[in-house]
Amino acid sequence: MTELERELVALGDELEYPVAREVWPQVSPRLQRRRLWPALVAVAVVALGIAFAVPPARSAILKFFHIGSVSVEQVQTLPPAQTRPFSTGLGPKLARPTVKLPAGLTATAYYARPGLMAAVLRYRGARVLYAELRGDQMGFAKKFVGPTTHIEEVRLGEFGIWLSGAPHVLAWDRGQVQTRLAGNVLLWLDHDVTYRLEGDLSERQMLALARQITR
Amino acid sequence: MVGRPLDESELIRRAQRGDTHAYEELVHAYQGIAFRTAYVVARNAADAEEAAQDGFVKAWRALGRFREGAPFRPWLLRIVANEASNRRRSAGRRAGLVLRAAAEEPSGDAAPSPEAALLTAERRATLLAAVEELPEEQRDVVALRYFLGLSETEVAETLAIPPGTVKSRTARALERLRESYD
Repeated sequence: MTELERELVALGDELEYPVAREVWPQVSPRLQRRRLWPALVAVAVVALGIAFAVPPARSAILKFFHIGSVSVEQVQTLPPAQTRPFSTGLGPKLARPTVKLPAGLTATAYYARPGLMAAVLRYRGARVLYAELRGDQMGFAKKFVGPTTHIEEVRLGEFGIWLSGAPHVLAWDRGQVQTRLAGNVLLWLDHDVTYRLEGDLSERQMLALARQITR
Repeated sequence: MVGRPLDESELIRRAQRGDTHAYEELVHAYQGIAFRTAYVVARNAADAEEAAQDGFVKAWRALGRFREGAPFRPWLLRIVANEASNRRRSAGRRAGLVLRAAAEEPSGDAAPSPEAALLTAERRATLLAAVEELPEEQRDVVALRYFLGLSETEVAETLAIPPGTVKSRTARALERLRESYD
């Protein structure tokens, strides 16, 4: 260590920092709320089950979890759904950008409706739907996943999952329940925003894109 | 610098299983360094306090993904520094680092450390001013490395940058400090 470095260390010893309050009393109640989460989710399952009214899924839920604004249910039998365009249910196509994209990525279309902003873009030759769902609006959208869809936790944001394999059913309620089949999806939560990427990309490609977007 | 509890890995294992008492011990052990890290990044006491709190909450939620055997401190500080960095980008008053009053006028109550004796009050003030003039990315590295005593590897992890970048930023910062300080 040079003399300058030693002087910097000595300087560090002489710095004054503001007095901080004990952290634990502020942190502890927030951990408790998380421990109550399964109970809250259980209540939501009932409410959403009624709201979405998708009988085959409601009757055979194998697993359920919630990530930001999206609920994911693993069911034995998927509800009926068709392949429909990405733009289905996203609201009118807009000319102005509704989401911020990193340099080098351009969208072919933008969409927005309350609580949701989206863009369709091209990445590594594939069309990709990128969406941001604001706030913890539980049940904003719902995914029904069959036994042959692979679900994997990924290190992204506060919590992320990667859905691949057999298509799953995306359902949302805008006055009436709408559904469509969805392919590979990366879903993650960060700072109260739920991010969603959908497209025919590998997990590695999708993660690279996600990290570019949310860097 | 904050000492590590001897049974830290056991505390982490218990916290991963949902034991909040174990996590409380980890919070107590690291709250000092977490707050100071947040403060040198955010430069605002209220933001630093929030960043430390949010960092501990997010770390709790992410504990399931913490790799067994990995060092906990830089993993935690990375989450805290990210929170602090997000707050730094928002509007608000930013404060500079300041010297303790006692350091400017030694009271004689305690003998200065050998390192502190290297510096006169004037040199301390000049050096601190020079550090504060550094570009933000170099200042963060200097503050974490020398003021808070993190290793190069820990600084890299905390700021989410490669170790080589820590080295180059440190070298550039020291060069600038020499130019303006010597």
